[in-house]
Amino acid sequence: MNVTTEALPKGTLLAIEGQVDMHTSPELRGKLRETLEKKSTPIVVDLTKVTFIDSSGLATLIEALQAVGRYGGRLRLCGLSPAVRNLFKLSNLISIFDIRESREDAVK
Amino acid sequence: MPPELTVTLRLPSHPRYLQLVRLLAGEGASAAGFPEEERDRIELSVVEGFTNVIRHAYKGRTDQTIEVRMSAPPGRLCVELEDWATWVDPVGIFSRPLDQVRPGGLGVHLMKSTMDRVDYRKNEHGGTTLVLEKRADAAAGGAR
Repeated sequence: MNVTTEALPKGTLLAIEGQVDMHTSPELRGKLRETLEKKSTPIVVDLTKVTFIDSSGLATLIEALQAVGRYGGRLRLCGLSPAVRNLFKLSNLISIFDIRESREDAVK
Repeated sequence: MPPELTVTLRLPSHPRYLQLVRLLAGEGASAAGFPEEERDRIELSVVEGFTNVIRHAYKGRTDQTIEVRMSAPPGRLCVELEDWATWVDPVGIFSRPLDQVRPGGLGVHLMKSTMDRVDYRKNEHGGTTLVLEKRADAAAGGAR
């Protein structure tokens, strides 16, 4: 897994590539924590190049959603493949996250 | 007719092997003839099972052994994950309620919502064998 962080005119973009699981989610958690410590908002997480995500990855995103809410910030997701979207539905999380169709829409 | 795909692997209880486990489950699902969407969910279920063995049976220890046994005759996939930890009573294994949004506790739900069989057997080492089975002819929706 690879995570690229990019400062936006307003907020931060994290683009994830590869498999997010118990092995790789600590790295994602670390990148998100660095962004959360800056109280950045919105935090946009682009999942376009994610090949697989499991419940460890979901847990990391839920932690970030809760943390960003504590300082009144916003977390947005974009680029969900059908398999990733299906996982969010299966976990009853589709309405919990702010999910956008495209990166362009998410960074607005 | 090609021979039935059967695999037995002994792996360290380290999450770095999750990618291998996922690829193996995907190959098995394809060999058994499951369509792509079901293959994705089967991969997820097997990854969740392997993760649960590391996290709960071995309590995060990465130097233990997990044996993965897979058979994939046409229309059926069976994956067994055997550990050398202690017997885990399935009565104590459950998912968190889905309306409680918090990290963790989803692995069992994801396995049960996809697979037709999710069983925990006491094995000959005194540990637990998690049995995951998916049948093409079973009603949609997985085990309950």
